[in-house]
Amino acid sequence: MFSYLAKRLLLFIPTLILVSLIAFGLSRLTPGDSVTAYLQSNPFERSMSKPNDLFNAERAYRQAAETLHEDKPAFYCSISPKAYPDTLYKVVIKNRRETLEKLIGQYGNWPAIQDYYQSIRTAELQLLALPDSVARLASPLKIPLRELYISSQPAAIQSRLDELASILQKDSLLMATVGGAVLEVGEKFMEVKNRATRWQLNIPAFRWYGLDNQYHRWISHFAVGDFGTSLTNRRPVTDKISPALFWTLLLNIAAILLAFLLAVPLGVWSAVKKGKRFDKIASVGLFMLYSLPAFWVGTLLLIFFATREYGMQLFPGPGLGNISSGATFWQKISTAAPHLVLPIICITYPALAFISRQARGGMVEVLKKDFIRTARAKGLPEGRVVWRHGFRNALFPVITLIASVFPAAIAGSVTIEFIFNIPGMGLLTYQSILQKDWPVLFTILMLGSLLTIVGMLVADLLYALVDPRVRFR
Amino acid sequence: MVERGNLQPRPLSQLKRRFRRSRTALWSLRVLYGLVFVAVFGDFIANDKPIFCKIKGTLYFPVFKQYAVDLGLAQWPAEFYQNDWQSHAYESVLFPPIPYAASTIDPKNTGYKSPFAEQNIPSRRYRHWLGTDNIGHDLAAGLVAGTRTALLVGLIAMAIATLIGVVLGSLAGYFGDEGFKISRIQVGLNLLALLLAWFYAFRARGFVLSEAAKNGGLGWELLKSLTIAALVFLLANALAFLFSKWPVLNKKITLPLDLLTMRAIEVLNSIPGLLLLLSIVAVLQKSSLFHIMAIIGLIRWTGIARFQRAELLKIRHLNYIEAARAMGFSNRRILFRHALPNAVSPVLITIAFGIASAILLESALSFLGFGGDSATWGKMLSEARRYPSAWWLAVFPGGMIFVSVTIFNLIGEGLTEAMSGEN
Repeated sequence: MFSYLAKRLLLFIPTLILVSLIAFGLSRLTPGDSVTAYLQSNPFERSMSKPNDLFNAERAYRQAAETLHEDKPAFYCSISPKAYPDTLYKVVIKNRRETLEKLIGQYGNWPAIQDYYQSIRTAELQLLALPDSVARLASPLKIPLRELYISSQPAAIQSRLDELASILQKDSLLMATVGGAVLEVGEKFMEVKNRATRWQLNIPAFRWYGLDNQYHRWISHFAVGDFGTSLTNRRPVTDKISPALFWTLLLNIAAILLAFLLAVPLGVWSAVKKGKRFDKIASVGLFMLYSLPAFWVGTLLLIFFATREYGMQLFPGPGLGNISSGATFWQKISTAAPHLVLPIICITYPALAFISRQARGGMVEVLKKDFIRTARAKGLPEGRVVWRHGFRNALFPVITLIASVFPAAIAGSVTIEFIFNIPGMGLLTYQSILQKDWPVLFTILMLGSLLTIVGMLVADLLYALVDPRVRFR
Repeated sequence: MVERGNLQPRPLSQLKRRFRRSRTALWSLRVLYGLVFVAVFGDFIANDKPIFCKIKGTLYFPVFKQYAVDLGLAQWPAEFYQNDWQSHAYESVLFPPIPYAASTIDPKNTGYKSPFAEQNIPSRRYRHWLGTDNIGHDLAAGLVAGTRTALLVGLIAMAIATLIGVVLGSLAGYFGDEGFKISRIQVGLNLLALLLAWFYAFRARGFVLSEAAKNGGLGWELLKSLTIAALVFLLANALAFLFSKWPVLNKKITLPLDLLTMRAIEVLNSIPGLLLLLSIVAVLQKSSLFHIMAIIGLIRWTGIARFQRAELLKIRHLNYIEAARAMGFSNRRILFRHALPNAVSPVLITIAFGIASAILLESALSFLGFGGDSATWGKMLSEARRYPSAWWLAVFPGGMIFVSVTIFNLIGEGLTEAMSGEN
């Protein structure tokens, strides 16, 4: 048994790693800048009149990026064209890094592009260091200059450069103080264009970054229960997930227990009465039930039985009612109980339909076996034949259904929680997508997969426990 | 809900006959024909344009004309520039049975008009038989358009899933863990080619591709990238052929195809489908119907692959395959000419169930509000949550989802029955 368990566990590790790679890969593709979202207000949009403001804003960004661990290389290694420097990740500000990537993608000469970028910064610092009397004159220069940081199209860059030059031309004082630095930017850009080395884009270069990377950090902290920081309220993701997990697990475990309790007798009874009227009606009914979309049933139950519109308000409306923050486990459940009836029905019935069909199928097979005929021939009472001889053998396949029912229930509760406004994982998924709270979303994706994998593992082990033949295969 | 008992591969004609024995299966097939009819001819059933009309002695066929205009083959004559088709002075005109399109807004019947309530309409001909939503969309017209969306999603998503599933499942089942032998140099060069193909097709062209994604023409650029990738693989295999003259390099190793496929299936199955779909849609930001179909196809092939694998595992030990092998036929010939034709019919079962689940998945997605712009049943259903009094918005679209999911499940069930049991 132990070696079987060890073998199963070992097989799940590569699966888990691959799942984590998928989740991480997706999280790297998210649009927008999560550091800016985290800072909420874009520090670079603030008015900056002194070099110190710029340094402070950049420090704030860098610190936020550090908290979110965005200042590290993404993965252990990378394969990129030789034209890209291996330290591009050190350009922490995301839209600037992307602009640099696009410039490299067009011209392929990193040293020249680096010089060009440096010249923009030199010019900006000079503008900010101007004495107050000239600073007012220089303020129209700031916007086009700052836009250069995030312009990657040659035409757009050129038009900004022309704009800068025309502003400078109008004022000789401006020309004398910052003219050199600003015009330098244009010269550097010409150099980028003239000394393009596009061939470098076609030479692959393999880079090794070591263990200090985003993925390694994410997965190793994930393993000990640190899921990162939420972008919306700067609190640990755990703070959002653990109450949600409580309600989702409560809902699903209750529903699945209920489903098994109802489905197994129903399936066994249908099998015993195979071909009779009861079996036919049950089969058709369960089939219909299986095809009924849970989110439709949920919507119907909600609008007919949880609103006052049709005079049939048997249950309270969406939400969980007033649960005080310090409520104990039982207080929470008793307050929420009337709100949970309809959602539990919606999660129970698809599982019920599925399990009882499988239970019936398994039981029908078992009842054909010789030992059942022997038991009947011995004159055992029918109840004993069915439950002691037949059911025990049909039980094995039914147990393994937990592996497929549980994940389906978890995924299905996204729509159910959305309909009944239950603050579980499903609703949290929905909200985190709307709020672009990526750390929460991908933690849920990982936890959902983890639950599924654990479900499969438990099913395998149960199977091995009740049927010793499995272990020796 | 596939219970694979003892399925017998059967020729299609026999399958058809056995399928027709079951009344429910036959009826579900008829309902499916009805749905397909509505989906295909939806523009002639619910449309704000007349099917034909005569104005000032000229005969027009506006619904057909719309197809030509959409394809860029024609342009609307000047008198039709205004969108209100009701306001023309027709000499004779024939409107479709539902004189509204899914996108038509009836400004006189906004704010959830019930099917039974008094409606502000010129005549019974213009009645909203199934009611309207908040901004005056006709629900019946929406359902007609939704039929097309749902069937399209089911069909295309499953076409993608079937392609992947059948290929991987057949390879895994036919070759198993021991059957696929390949030379060392081929393995090495193909692995290298995988890296290089990815590099040249996507990494080195990253800038071009991202620009194309923004400015249009992504399809063309992707095609170019895929051609580059194909060329890299071709080159690698040509090189492998050359190098295989050396016996050291030509030493065969067995590739455990079955193990690899089953691992891939397990990984994909351990991520909850709706969560994965939601995450991908969230990352993509713009979720057009095509994206959703493609994603559903890419994550729902596992069932088909498992089914196909089990089928080929069974077939490859049958006598006639052994005989073919003994005749010295190549693996390719046995697989395509002898094994696969026999494994086709059982796959139909998983396809039927798969279409049902794809329709369900897409409805759930648009119910949550991530379904893109097309008219879908799920989106109409979610409207009911906002306004509980509008029972018609809950009952009819949900009913359509239920009906289509049920008939595909019933067809799957009928196919299973037709294939199982003795002759």
